[in-house]
Amino acid sequence: MLTFSISAIANWLVSLLSSASVVKQAEGLAAYAIGVAILIMAFAYFLGWLERKIIAKVQARHGPTVVGKYGLLQNLADFMKLLAKSNFFPKSSDKLLFAVALPAMLALSIFLILLLPLAPSTGIGNMTNGLLIVFALFAFMPLLIFINGIASGNKFGEISAQRSVIMIMSYEIPMLIVIASIGMLAHSYDLVNIVESQAHIWYIFLMPLGFFVFFVAMLAELERSPFDLREADSELIAGWLTDVSAPYYTLALFLDYTKMFLGSLIVVILFFGGWSGYGLLPVFWLVVKALIFAIFVMLLRATAVRMKLDRLLRFGWLALMPLALINLIVAYLLFVM
Amino acid sequence: MKIERGKLIETLKELKGKGYKYLVKIAGVDNINSISVLYFVRDIDNNKEEVVEVELDPNDTALPSVEEVYKAADWYERTLYEMFGIEIKGRQIRRLLLEKWNGKGAPLRKNFEWGAPYETKQSKKAVA
Amino acid sequence: MTTKINIGPIHPSTHGVLRLVVELDGDTIVGVEPHIGFLHRGVEKLAENRMYMQNIGYMEKIDYVAPMAYDDAYVAAVEEAMGVEVKERAKYIRTILLELQRIASHLLWLGTMANDLGQFYTLFMWTFRDRDKILRLLQEHAGARMFYLNMRPGGVVRDLPPDFEENTLQVLDYIEKRITEYEHYLESNQVFIERTKGIGVLSREMAIELGATGPVLRGSGVNYDTRSNKPYYAYSELGFRPQVMFAGDSFARYKVRMLEMKESIRMVREAFKKIPEGDAVGMPVRLIMPQAKNKIVTVNRETPRGEAFIYMIADKERPYRLSIRTPSFINLSLINEIAKGSRLADLFAILGSLDLVMADVDL
Repeated sequence: MLTFSISAIANWLVSLLSSASVVKQAEGLAAYAIGVAILIMAFAYFLGWLERKIIAKVQARHGPTVVGKYGLLQNLADFMKLLAKSNFFPKSSDKLLFAVALPAMLALSIFLILLLPLAPSTGIGNMTNGLLIVFALFAFMPLLIFINGIASGNKFGEISAQRSVIMIMSYEIPMLIVIASIGMLAHSYDLVNIVESQAHIWYIFLMPLGFFVFFVAMLAELERSPFDLREADSELIAGWLTDVSAPYYTLALFLDYTKMFLGSLIVVILFFGGWSGYGLLPVFWLVVKALIFAIFVMLLRATAVRMKLDRLLRFGWLALMPLALINLIVAYLLFVM
Repeated sequence: MKIERGKLIETLKELKGKGYKYLVKIAGVDNINSISVLYFVRDIDNNKEEVVEVELDPNDTALPSVEEVYKAADWYERTLYEMFGIEIKGRQIRRLLLEKWNGKGAPLRKNFEWGAPYETKQSKKAVA
Repeated sequence: MTTKINIGPIHPSTHGVLRLVVELDGDTIVGVEPHIGFLHRGVEKLAENRMYMQNIGYMEKIDYVAPMAYDDAYVAAVEEAMGVEVKERAKYIRTILLELQRIASHLLWLGTMANDLGQFYTLFMWTFRDRDKILRLLQEHAGARMFYLNMRPGGVVRDLPPDFEENTLQVLDYIEKRITEYEHYLESNQVFIERTKGIGVLSREMAIELGATGPVLRGSGVNYDTRSNKPYYAYSELGFRPQVMFAGDSFARYKVRMLEMKESIRMVREAFKKIPEGDAVGMPVRLIMPQAKNKIVTVNRETPRGEAFIYMIADKERPYRLSIRTPSFINLSLINEIAKGSRLADLFAILGSLDLVMADVDL
C-alpha cells in the first residue's frame, strides 16, 4: 500500500476496535502480559538472591542467611528499606526526565521479555520478524541511559552516561551481525521458527564463533563485569546512578537483574534450543537453561578484572567485528548449502 | 658536618656531585637557643651516608630552598615550614599536613602553647 | 583547556582519607596534587611528652597494617640510646616475627590492589583469609592480633610458645600454595597485564632523585634494601637477597612484592633451622628509665612499605626529639611525577601499586 490517507487509517482503526474477536484477543493478551510480568519480576528477585549467594560462596563467605530461610527474603527487606527512604531530586537535575527514565528502562526490559516466545504456543502469536523487533526495541536502551545521564544534572553523570552509551552502541553492531547469521541458518526471523529449527542440533554447535561474539556483546549490553564501567568507583566518581534517590535506586537494582534475565533468555533461545528438552514442560527447560547461563554470568562478575574504556572499544571494533563478519560468511555458506 | 646557612646550597651541590644523590630526610630540631635543620643524604651505590647540619637563630629562620638540588626536598620543606615556622625562600611554600590551621605558632617548637585558644566560629561567638 | 576534578577525601576505594586534585586535559592527567593531613595525629610532638615505654603505643599506630615494624624500629632506637644489646635468640625471633608481618602486609596490599583494578572483592576476601592465619600465629605469641606491643629493649616480651614452629611451618606451606595460585590467576589475566604493564613508569634516575623507597625503588631497578645494605638482626646470616625488577611500571612493583613474599617465606623456614637456644626476654617495663648513653640515635628499618628512618635525641626519661621518616609519605609525593600522561582510569591502579597507608603518610 503505497498511498494512504487519514480517513483510510481512521476507518481501519474503527473497524479494528469494533470487532469482537480483536477485543477478546486484546483481553487475553492483557491477562497474559500481566501474569507473565509478575512472574518475570519474581524471577528477577530470585536472580538477585542467587547472585548474592553465588558471589559470596566464591569469596569464601556465606552471603545472606538470616532473613528468611537461606536469606531469601533479604532482597525484599532491602527493597522495603529503600522504598521507605525519602525521595528527592538534586537541584540541578531535570525532574521530569529523572522521574521517567528509570521506570521507562524497567518497562522496556519487561516488555521485551514479553515479546519473547516462552513456550511453543504463547499469547503473542507468531511474529514474522520477531527477532528484528526485539533487537530494534533493545536499541532504545542507550537512549534511555543517555536521558538518565542528562537528567542527573552534573557533568560526571553526563560523562559517565556518554561512556556507557558509546560502549553499548559499539557492541551492538557485532550482535546484530550475529543475529543476521542466525536468521540465515534458520531461514526465518520468527523466534518460534528459530527455536523449532534447533530441534536437531543447537546453533551453538553450528556457530561456536557466533556464540562467543554474541555472548561477549551481550555482556557489554547488560553492563556486567568485565564491562561494568558504570559502577566503577575509580573510573568516574559519580556515575549516572549516584544521584538517584533510594526509591529510584530500587528500580535500578531490579533493572540489573531483569536485563540479565532478558539477556539470558535471548541467548538461550538463539543458541541453546530454547525450550527443547525431554519430558517436562517446555517453559521449565527454557528457564533452567537461562538460569545456568545467568549463573555463569554471575561467576564472571566475581572473578573478572574490569577493562578500561579504550581497551573495550578497541576490542569491540577491532576484534569482535571481524569475528562477527567471519561468522556471517560461514553462516552464508551453511545457508547456501 | 655543621655549616652555615649561606653555604647550604653549595655544600649540597658538592655532595650531590660526589654521588650522594638520595635525600633521606630533612629534620628540624628545636634546641631552645637555636633551631638546627639536618639534611640526611645518602650515596646509594656505595652505601654511605652524610649529615649536613645548619644552625639557625630562632628569631631569624629563613632558609634557601634546596629543591633545585634534591627534588625530594619539596614535601620535607613544607613540613619544616608549618611545624617549625622556618621560612623557605625561593619558591612558593604551602602547608602540607595542617592545611586549615587557624591556631598560632609552630607546633613542633618547644614554646608552642598547648591548649592555646584555637579560634573557630563557635569560639569567637562564645567570647563575644 | 584543563579542568580540575576533586577526588575527595571520602571515596569508595579502599585507600583511606586522601584528597587528590587532578588536573585533566580531556582524559589525560596533567598534574596530581595530593592534599593530606586528614589523619595527622602529631606523633612527633606527643612523643616528646611521654616516657620511652609509653611511646610504643603511638609508634605502633603509625602503620596499622604492619604495626610490628614501627614497634621494632622505635625499640631499637631506645636500645641504642641505652646501650643495650639484643640477645642472640631474640634477634632470630624478631626476624621471624618481622618477616611474618611483612607477608601479612603484602597480602593485604594484594587484595586492595586487585580491588582497585576492578576485581569485585574476590581476591580481597581470599587474601584476608590468608592474612588471618598469620594474625592467629602472632596472637599466640603476643596476645593481640593487630597492635602487639611485644618488643622490649634487649629482646621480646616473652618467648615463642612451644608449638609455634610447627604451626608456622604449616601456615607457610599453605600460604606458599596460595601465593602461587594468586600469581597465576593474575598474571594469566590479559586484562590485568594490560592495566599494569607500562602504566605509571618511574625511571631509575627519577626514583633516586625523588626519594622513592621500598618496593617502589626496587621496582625501578635500584638495588637498595635496608636489610642487605645496613643489615640488622639475623638478616645477614639468613642470606637475604633483595628482589629487584627493572621496568619501573606498576607490574614491576607488583612483582617485587610477590617475590618479597616468597623470599620472606624462605627466610622464616631457614630461621627456624638456625635459631639458637637461650633467653630471649627483654627488659621488663618498669626498669626502663634510661640514663641515655648515646644521646643521638639513628635507626634504619625496612618496613613492608619501604624504609623507615628514625632520628632520636634521647633525654633522661623522654625523647627530646623523635623525628620519623615514613615511607608512604615520600612515596605519595611521587604521584605527580608518575601519573603525568596517563589516563584517569589508571590513577587508582597506580596508587594501588604504591601501597600507601594514609596513617603512614600523615604520621
